[in-house]
Amino acid sequence: MAHFDTEYQRLEASYSDSPPGEENLLVHVPEGSKLHAGHFYEKPQEKTITCPIFFRQLVFVVAFTVFLVNCVDYDILFANKFVNHTDSSKVTLPDAILPVDVCSARIRHNVFVIFIILISGVFWLHRLVKFMYNICCYWEIRSFFINALKVSMADLPYFTWQEVQARIVEIQKEHQICIHKKELTELDIYHRILRFKNYMVAMVNKSLLPVRFHLPLLGDTVFYTRGLKYNFELIFFWGPGSLFENEWSLKAEYKRGGNRLELADRLSSRILWIGIANLLLCPVILIWQILYAFFSHMEVIKREPGSLGARCWSLYGRFYLRHFNELDHELMSRLSKGYKASSKYMNCFMSPLLTVVAKNVAFFAGSILAVLIALTIYDEDVLAVEHVLSSITLLGVGITVCRSFIPDKHMVFCPEQLLKVILAHIHYMPDHWQGNAHRYETRDEFAQLFQYKAGFILEELLSPVITPFILIFCLRRKSLEIIDFFRNFTVDVVGVGDTCSFAQMDVRQHGHPAWMSAGKTEASIYQQAEDGKTELSLMHFAITNPHWQPPRESTHFISQLKEKVHRETSGGQQGVLTDHPVFTTTHSQSDSEPHSLIANLLMGPPSLSSLHLGRDGSIHPVSVGASEGASALRSLSPMSSSINLRGSYPSARLPQPDQPALAASRAMTGSGTDARTISSGSSVWEGQLTSMVLSEYASTEMSIHAVYMHEMHKQQSQDEMSRHTWYRQESDESSESVNEDLESTRNFPRSNTFPCTTTPHQEGAAHHSSRQQRRHGGTADFVPGSSRVQRTPRVPMGGWSEDARTGRHHDTVPEEGSEDELPPRIHKLHF
Amino acid sequence: MNCRSEVLEVSVEGRQVDEAMLALLHTILLHRSTGKFHYKKEGTYSIGTVGTLDVDCDFIDFTFVRVSSDELDRVIRKAVAEFKDGLGNSGNDGMGQISLEFYQKKKSRWPFSDECIPWEVWSIKVNVVNLANEQERQICREKVGEKLGEKVINIVEVINRHEYLPKMPTQSEVDNVFDTSLKDVQPYLYKITFQITDSMGTSVSTTMRRLIKDTLAL
Repeated sequence: MAHFDTEYQRLEASYSDSPPGEENLLVHVPEGSKLHAGHFYEKPQEKTITCPIFFRQLVFVVAFTVFLVNCVDYDILFANKFVNHTDSSKVTLPDAILPVDVCSARIRHNVFVIFIILISGVFWLHRLVKFMYNICCYWEIRSFFINALKVSMADLPYFTWQEVQARIVEIQKEHQICIHKKELTELDIYHRILRFKNYMVAMVNKSLLPVRFHLPLLGDTVFYTRGLKYNFELIFFWGPGSLFENEWSLKAEYKRGGNRLELADRLSSRILWIGIANLLLCPVILIWQILYAFFSHMEVIKREPGSLGARCWSLYGRFYLRHFNELDHELMSRLSKGYKASSKYMNCFMSPLLTVVAKNVAFFAGSILAVLIALTIYDEDVLAVEHVLSSITLLGVGITVCRSFIPDKHMVFCPEQLLKVILAHIHYMPDHWQGNAHRYETRDEFAQLFQYKAGFILEELLSPVITPFILIFCLRRKSLEIIDFFRNFTVDVVGVGDTCSFAQMDVRQHGHPAWMSAGKTEASIYQQAEDGKTELSLMHFAITNPHWQPPRESTHFISQLKEKVHRETSGGQQGVLTDHPVFTTTHSQSDSEPHSLIANLLMGPPSLSSLHLGRDGSIHPVSVGASEGASALRSLSPMSSSINLRGSYPSARLPQPDQPALAASRAMTGSGTDARTISSGSSVWEGQLTSMVLSEYASTEMSIHAVYMHEMHKQQSQDEMSRHTWYRQESDESSESVNEDLESTRNFPRSNTFPCTTTPHQEGAAHHSSRQQRRHGGTADFVPGSSRVQRTPRVPMGGWSEDARTGRHHDTVPEEGSEDELPPRIHKLHF
Repeated sequence: MNCRSEVLEVSVEGRQVDEAMLALLHTILLHRSTGKFHYKKEGTYSIGTVGTLDVDCDFIDFTFVRVSSDELDRVIRKAVAEFKDGLGNSGNDGMGQISLEFYQKKKSRWPFSDECIPWEVWSIKVNVVNLANEQERQICREKVGEKLGEKVINIVEVINRHEYLPKMPTQSEVDNVFDTSLKDVQPYLYKITFQITDSMGTSVSTTMRRLIKDTLAL
């Protein structure tokens, strides 16, 4: 038993939310030794390693439960019955355990227990087969690494994903793993690894999946659990009769628009069946979930009850915040960096009443506990009194829980700033959060992304019960939309297979005009990715993979954006602040601007930075300029040394080497060169740290860009709003619209990009609301997939598919209009 | 995903099926065969010669070139005959597809069978038509001949493109790339499969594999 306990703790440790160490960077290993099949998977080796641990856990959980239920004589344990010992009166543990024959008889007569054992046996076998399979995979990966990539297993822990990827690109030139093209790009590799994840991210982005619900009492809620996710994947990607033919291609009939209604019918009946299967299996899964949750969390809860009050990123949040083409470890490191700031932000919203109550409860509980402990110290026999030990334990737990409701006395809160810092890490947030960071609405919505761990466990427990109903009643209704989604947004990339077209990150096809791609994008509303996902993902991917050559429009987009950022930094240096609208607003609204953050990112803690500046200055003459710029920026922002920021930014030490990079790139402004490539050259003196530091640069740079892009977006939408206000004023001379801008902020405007079920309040943003209406109108058109009206021929082919076709890029899935004509063509052949 | 696939479509009369198929399959195989390798000592080998043979079709105005290997011819004829039988037996209106798949073998350890990794697949979709009278048959005869000629040129164009071919193997690995069972000629490893209806479902095996691979992510 002791043995099991230790194993158990080890796995638990990997669940905690601590920021990942270096080893997480190396977890992603492509399964590639199928040199020909050539599809890469992320293959966490951890999985293979933790598998046997899991086996033993499973066996242990089942065996131990059965044992506890059947083989323990609780009467003896609770001392309701006396044991007659000859030598002493002490009750020992073995006394409480029933003899083997009694025990086995009890088990044999208990049908329910046998049922459980059977089910877990099947489950266990299944895991065993899977484990075997994983071992084989692992073996293949291993040989691929050793033979093809020339990385020995001993060295592997020191490799980052970037290096592994570089090697894969390298060997493509030599071995031609992918036979369709001479060179493999980074994007190809990412596409293969993240094919289905990209689809899921896009579906969450376009709010296609039914994960948001409006409940009568709870208001807007998000319900997205692992079980639900598993079912979605089963339905879309790999289950029997799924939309995908194999791991890389969508079935041909789904690419054709012709019989979409029939396909939707088929999909909805399939969902129904899977939902029913879920319903039937529900008791089994439920029992398993409960047992598993009990054994895996009970110990932690006992040890540190505060962990229930801790938060974690919800599964929905992970999909909402994920970029297209972002690997797990990249996402996790980003989110973990934002963790501290986020929990601090959530702590801003302690209700004073609750604090007072908690303080009182803690006081009373504390006094009783103190007395009990004092008595125990005085005489141990106090412990033997019934329920003293349990009340001591309970009081302790109660005090810990109360304490988590009492905010730290020395904390200064500034929600706006905190939200900025969070944004710098999580990169996405709905528009209406900006300027509303102090509101409970914002907090509640953020809580959907960043939920209590207790909530997470509870959701997981409820999941088996709720999932079938979501499948049957919510997902089924969307079947036509889903069919349309997969048809309209699937691109066949040569050598990669069918991928989600959003994941191509083509600004032209999926850009959103409100996110700086105005003029470049040709996307219809249906095609636009929400929340600037395309633009931010593009930026993120270009920054993490500096060698990647994006398509032309995207290159243009990136270089333009970078130029802008650089221009502004130099603008700040010269003190010409009124040049750019952002700077003027910086002054007008002064407190919540990102420049303080940027400056902070660049500077790091003053003491350290001055030291490093000296060092840099001696090596790179240019960096003097950088320091000037940075200090100018810094002087611009009095908030830069705020406690919150620095406290919540544990890696502030690392970003500072960005200064030479910035300087150098500023020297080359306009060339669009990636700052990081230069800095990589200049940071040779950093020795082996380069790669690590590089990825750190990348994340910092991305943070800056994310904040900047959100700022620009806000700017743009405000411009639009004020322009509109002006027009309105002119047209109907209403006096109340003068301060429309202000008023709409006061009304807590919700952007339509955040998938809310409520309608937007703002009337000023006609652009937005009209878009929303159009969208809803369109949705209403094709939601009732099975209704009779749908079948009339003049109904559109799904959401804006007409626009979709005109905006189609040449490499999209060939619209099957041509293929539908095939049969006649064949008939023409014979004469 | 990681293999080229070419699709040819022909529409022929019932009796022309086997000749048309033979013509196309042989044309492809002609370009995908080499002479036998004769290994001398380490790393050096000489390649034997490959004879060619003109074949005149009976029911089509067409002549094609094939490798003059009776063994190869026998194998292909057998496959085509099966295909034709299948077409005839099916109650379907004469649609079918025969595919020629070139693959490489990857040896794996004992409990697992060798893995076949295709690198090029030629699919020939056949549509059988019924003709009413002799005059139409005559026209069809010429037309199909012309069409086949076009297809052959197509095939040659595709093959002439400078694209991926398996690397020349060493002596020990020659079986993984070439079919060495024939006496007089050595084509790349190939496999001929056909299906009569065009029902394409997720095969049970891939589903099972997926099912095993990622199960309940607990």
